[in-house]
Amino acid sequence: MVRKYKAHYVLTCMVLLVLSLAMLIPVANIIALSFTSPDKIPEVSGFTMLPKGFSLINYKLLLTNSKVLRALFNSLLITGVSTILNVYMTCISAYVLTQSDLKGKSILIGILILVMFFEPGVVQEYLVMKHMHLIGDYWSVILYKAINVYYLIIMMRFFEDIPKSLIDAARVDGAGHGKILLRIFIPLAKPAMVTVGLLYTVFHWNACFKPSIFLSQDKWPLQVLLRQFVVLGNASCIIEAETINKASQISYEALKAGFIVIAIVPILILYPLILKYYTKGTMQGGVKG
Amino acid sequence: MSKRNHVFNASKNHKRQSFKCYLKQNGILYVMIIPAIIYFSIFHLLPIVGMRIAFEEYHLQGSNEWVGLKNFVALFRSSTFLKVLLNTLVISLMKLIIIMPIPIILSLLINELKQKNFKKYVQTIIYMPYFLSWVVIAGIWLSLLSYDGVVNQILNIFHIEAVDFMKSEIHIRWVLIFSEIWKSAGWNSIIYIATLMKINPTLYSAAQIDGANRFQQMWYITLPELVPTIVTLFILNFRLLLNAGFDQVFNLMNDSVLNSIDILDTYAYRIGLLDGQYAFSIAASLFKGMIGVILIVSTHLAAKKISGKGLW
Repeated sequence: MVRKYKAHYVLTCMVLLVLSLAMLIPVANIIALSFTSPDKIPEVSGFTMLPKGFSLINYKLLLTNSKVLRALFNSLLITGVSTILNVYMTCISAYVLTQSDLKGKSILIGILILVMFFEPGVVQEYLVMKHMHLIGDYWSVILYKAINVYYLIIMMRFFEDIPKSLIDAARVDGAGHGKILLRIFIPLAKPAMVTVGLLYTVFHWNACFKPSIFLSQDKWPLQVLLRQFVVLGNASCIIEAETINKASQISYEALKAGFIVIAIVPILILYPLILKYYTKGTMQGGVKG
Repeated sequence: MSKRNHVFNASKNHKRQSFKCYLKQNGILYVMIIPAIIYFSIFHLLPIVGMRIAFEEYHLQGSNEWVGLKNFVALFRSSTFLKVLLNTLVISLMKLIIIMPIPIILSLLINELKQKNFKKYVQTIIYMPYFLSWVVIAGIWLSLLSYDGVVNQILNIFHIEAVDFMKSEIHIRWVLIFSEIWKSAGWNSIIYIATLMKINPTLYSAAQIDGANRFQQMWYITLPELVPTIVTLFILNFRLLLNAGFDQVFNLMNDSVLNSIDILDTYAYRIGLLDGQYAFSIAASLFKGMIGVILIVSTHLAAKKISGKGLW
């Protein structure tokens, strides 16, 4: 009996180990490739997890390229401004929508359900943007997802958990809604705000399709440029022919890998925070993602 | 009679006063929600209202002409649309049936782990791909699946001939399935792991005393506890039957596999924004939206009837 149990346990561990390696190796491989020195590139196989030799040539080339820098700046700008606006709008709306005695609440909830379950499609979104004269403007990508209904619901769940006695006590002391939100809800729901803020950040950083149709080329964020270069294989979008000739010793594959790494570094930096806040919230409060 | 009237008036007065009082106390709430209302009106309700274009013939100059269901009829007569619809259904159903159970199995496996460090390592790694964009994943998978990529190298060990997966119409749908699993199965297991952690451990002790082995414990205790979560997620996913994952397909698609993975959303994008046939494209989107609403309402009602608990 004891031996049988052990065999089954070892099997479980093996399965999970293999699965986790299937997710770890491709990412580690890309990172290793991007740091490998150019003369050792042919030695790198798909299973290599550590760079052979060490070189920053890909990053030097990418991070001195004006188009990449421009895209990086665009991404940071869009992500930063959007996230601040998102968290602000989401907090305020969640506060209002969790007021139990709000008149007209059912209409607002109805709108939310409609928005959640009915998407008008890409042409309609484009036409509305055009109508608002926002095409080609940073505001188009900042505004089109000012509130994500799912994240709003996460926030509302957190707000609903705040003890009523605290709110009543504040009300007796004469605090209005503004004060209650600022002094009670926001400090208590800080983990929720960080969680939602991080999810919004990831969303905006990773967005590719909508920015590519709403924005003109000089305002493209990193992901759109990455798509052009890595997925569509359109190298001329960032590198002029002369640069390729000048740096003939660089490998095209390694350059792609370097670009991918630049795009995932912010995600990898934020990831531990997301794990800490999101999983903690999920495990404790049963928040649905 | 007069007394009654008096009481009536008093209550009316009281009501008016209490409403005034309510507004004075809570009017600020309506001010606070105004930005959100404006946002939803402009970016969500306005596009929905604008979908009436689906019933019109779009003219660049002058006003549009009402043509009723003409666009929809044309849509269903178009062989491309029917092919795209079939693709969408096949890919969605494959995803629903093949992918749904994987997070459940993962959560059961992770739940068995006893070494805390190993458990933490596994969770940290398998949740991570969820946060990578489809562009990045497409970039990584393109090299994985290329002719001399890792997958073909592994297949070579088993003497299976190399395949160019990204360009093969037969294999590309499976690429969609596996890349979807790679990206989100880990993260989607969180909700099940959270449910598993809430199961009362005395249930297992009692079962062990009764002589139940681990498999029986899983079958009779763990799985029934997971059923409500599974049902809810199934309904939520079923509603997406005509979605099939736009971002994923958009990034993994190329001309040689267009036939087998062109889905409704990519079709609407192509004929709408690239070819400029707005009315046609919006008709396709409206069709998709309506089916989505029908699906969500009917699955909700079915779930309510079966388990007594719907979505809302």
